[in-house]
Amino acid sequence: MTVIVNPAGPPAAASPETTRATLRRNFWRGVWRVLRRKPSRMAGVVIVALFALMGVAGPLLYPAQLPRDDNALYAPPSLAHPFGTDFEGTDVLALVITGARYVLLTGLATAVITVALGTVIGLIAGFHRGRWDTVLMRLTDMNLAIPGLPLLLVLSTVWKFESPLEMGLVLGVLGWGGIARAVRSQTLSLRERGFIEAARGLGLPTRHIVGRELLPSMAPYIAMNMLIAVTGAVYAQVGLFFLGVLPFESNNWGVMLNLAVFNGGALTTPAALPYLMAPLIAILLLTLGIVLIVDAMDEIFNPRLREE
Amino acid sequence: MKRLAAIMAVASIATATACGTTGTTETARTGGGVFTTIDGSKQINASAPINPFNPVGSVFSGYNGMALAWPKNDPTDPNQFYPAIAGSWTTSSDRSQVDIHLRPDAKWSDGVPVTSEDVRVSIGLAYTQGGTAYALDPKAAGAAADIQVVDPTTVRITQGANRSSTFLANLLSTVVVPAHVFGKLLPADFWQLLKTAQHGQGAVAEKAKSAITGLAEKVIAFDPGHDVSAGPFVLERVNPGAALLTRNPYFYDRQKIAPDKVKILNYTGNEQIWNYLIAGRLDNAPFTSVPTAVMNRIREAPGSKVIKGYSPVAVSLAFNQAHKPYDNVHVRRALAYLIDRAQVTRIASPEGGTPAATTSGIHAQAARAWLGSGFDGLEQYRTNPAKADAELKAAGMTKRNGRWAMPDGSPWKVRIHVPASFSDWVAAGKSISSQLADHGVDASVVTAADYTLYLGELAEGKYDLGLWLIGLGPSPYNIFQRLFGQANGWQMFGGRLRHVAPGTEGNWMGGPEKVDAGAAGLVDPGELTGTLNYASHDEQKRIVGILAKVANEQLPVVQLWDYVNTQFVNTSRYTAFPPDDDQSLRLSSGVWMQLGMIKKAEKGRA
Repeated sequence: MTVIVNPAGPPAAASPETTRATLRRNFWRGVWRVLRRKPSRMAGVVIVALFALMGVAGPLLYPAQLPRDDNALYAPPSLAHPFGTDFEGTDVLALVITGARYVLLTGLATAVITVALGTVIGLIAGFHRGRWDTVLMRLTDMNLAIPGLPLLLVLSTVWKFESPLEMGLVLGVLGWGGIARAVRSQTLSLRERGFIEAARGLGLPTRHIVGRELLPSMAPYIAMNMLIAVTGAVYAQVGLFFLGVLPFESNNWGVMLNLAVFNGGALTTPAALPYLMAPLIAILLLTLGIVLIVDAMDEIFNPRLREE
Repeated sequence: MKRLAAIMAVASIATATACGTTGTTETARTGGGVFTTIDGSKQINASAPINPFNPVGSVFSGYNGMALAWPKNDPTDPNQFYPAIAGSWTTSSDRSQVDIHLRPDAKWSDGVPVTSEDVRVSIGLAYTQGGTAYALDPKAAGAAADIQVVDPTTVRITQGANRSSTFLANLLSTVVVPAHVFGKLLPADFWQLLKTAQHGQGAVAEKAKSAITGLAEKVIAFDPGHDVSAGPFVLERVNPGAALLTRNPYFYDRQKIAPDKVKILNYTGNEQIWNYLIAGRLDNAPFTSVPTAVMNRIREAPGSKVIKGYSPVAVSLAFNQAHKPYDNVHVRRALAYLIDRAQVTRIASPEGGTPAATTSGIHAQAARAWLGSGFDGLEQYRTNPAKADAELKAAGMTKRNGRWAMPDGSPWKVRIHVPASFSDWVAAGKSISSQLADHGVDASVVTAADYTLYLGELAEGKYDLGLWLIGLGPSPYNIFQRLFGQANGWQMFGGRLRHVAPGTEGNWMGGPEKVDAGAAGLVDPGELTGTLNYASHDEQKRIVGILAKVANEQLPVVQLWDYVNTQFVNTSRYTAFPPDDDQSLRLSSGVWMQLGMIKKAEKGRA
């Protein structure tokens, strides 16, 4: 009989840090597997990464004052100008790329504020129930009842939203109601489950129960809402700029749409059509990328959807 | 923008001469079909009453809405009119009294003759709305002091003490409504009340004024139920999409009117008008801002034709001189030297404007008529960065890291304000900001949500620079009150001109009260502008010369482009439209018909 002796001795009990690192590693391996399973998901990641890169580095690729060609107003697409030029002879692709920063920053700010407010309010209302629930849900109802676009139109008369963070703040403050309601429902459901009962029985503090037990269970849902909030914010801000109620920035996608339609007649003649199509394609691609990532996230966080 | 066109149409008192090539004796062919157009001054509101005093009322000028006369497009004389209900008029030598002679054959669409009483009632109703010749304050310039019915077809109107050279023009622009429909809106003691309001003293006069202005709402809201028109057409029905008018059998010149019906289509924006024109649906559309590519599509439509003529309106970049550094004339001049007006026009209004030849406050066509060779002596402010640099240095501005800064070293941020709904102005603002940025000036465009908000914020002095309509002729007073009037501190109050401090009572331009006008010495531009109201023609010419020079040197504004009246017509169904530069071009096609134009096209001939 051969005795195999482990020269390193018996395995030591894994430390909490090691366990967390392993979990993290396994998680990212799972993410990679899910992404690889469908090429569309990889495409989603690539698209969003591309837009993130545009937001970060786009304005650095061009001079602060974009070059103009006075002899090529509304020039058709060419190798030099893949999406033609605008009313001033500025390259439309350059406008889309440099304009991504405002759009994405607003989307990000909106998503963070929406999700943070919605999650906190939903969690408190659902977990504490009683008076907290009543008060917070009435607040949520009021938030849901606010007509967002008309309010923004009125606000724009006194507030010029020169910074994307200001715009994100307003959109975020207006948009948390739906998430708060959904998080509250999830919390009400989860708080009756066995593992929460057990945590309570063990006398764990509320902070631990909410932070370590409840929140991770809702993380997928929250993360997906965060991404969807980005698309909502993009639509809202582009819509406001399209209506012409916000400060003019010629490389803002909404302003581009406005000028293409009302100044260039893009819906009437093909001359300004590329100027209209470029920001539309950008919005479409960004939305598509986010939707594809949400599809992947759904599978990552929902074990029942996994095929292995 | 269409909205801009509407403002221009209302704001300026201009117009045009002879009816061109068409013979007025030719009898219109029968079975004239439906003439389709739009109303450039307003959109259709199906619930609005058939009432010309209602701003959105279903009364369309020249079709079922009639004035005493129609203004011509003369660049310098505001008193040039085509006869309408008033067949003729006579003015006393001192211009204090006007006798209006109505056409004896003018009738309302119910067969009742148009009489002096109709004019008197119309004037009474105009007093409830205030303004122009019908101001309750007898000291107001050009106010009518007495209205007298001489006979059934003659009305005598006397001007008050403060004479105005536009008195006749204001009288002839009076909209006439039937006394047997609208007369009941005036109380029985109205004319006594008016006398008390105009000539009384103290509380009694004030009470009478309040009683008259208190009628304003009632007059605006009045709905006669059905149309009684003295025009060539009568409103048959109106829905949110269109208004349909049918021929008035009692119109005095009915033989001149070719179409059986007129359909006035509604529109929500310029794009809708473009699409109507491309589809060939409109027989005529008044001035609409059109990009070149769209214009090319419109020209391709069978029968499509563009008529161009004079429009006494210009666009300018106006300064708030109460704000630094725009209080310094060198800064204003520097900006004028940096802006390439031809490029701005090409980008903003390629089809509807010509670059301002210089900056004088007057449309170039009128300026040449007023100034003659003096026009060429004005500084043209051709693009010249070297001169701009010298001017900025003279103003104490400094250049650091390629950017101009204020004399105290703080950043100079040029914010150009425009209303968001005027796409041509937005494009102009962007073009200017790009050009300024090329020369180291940190410039950007800021939009206001709508024109009303824009004007409000402008008047409150919130903007450093904003786009501003000027040159609203033909009256020289109307032209220069845009530069040296209420917006710049000069106000007419109780018949007396006074100057208010910058930043107060709507004085957002903040220019100095007196300026050095070279050979003319130290002048008060506002006072000179006020004088234009009653001065003789020669004196007006002298004053216009001084004010144009002041505007050119002091630059309260930089004139960008002069508008061109661009009319669209389609000759597939109707022909004999007015030619280019015709003096009737700023009037509706309903008036063209009254003047004997617009004939049914022969079959197979466009």
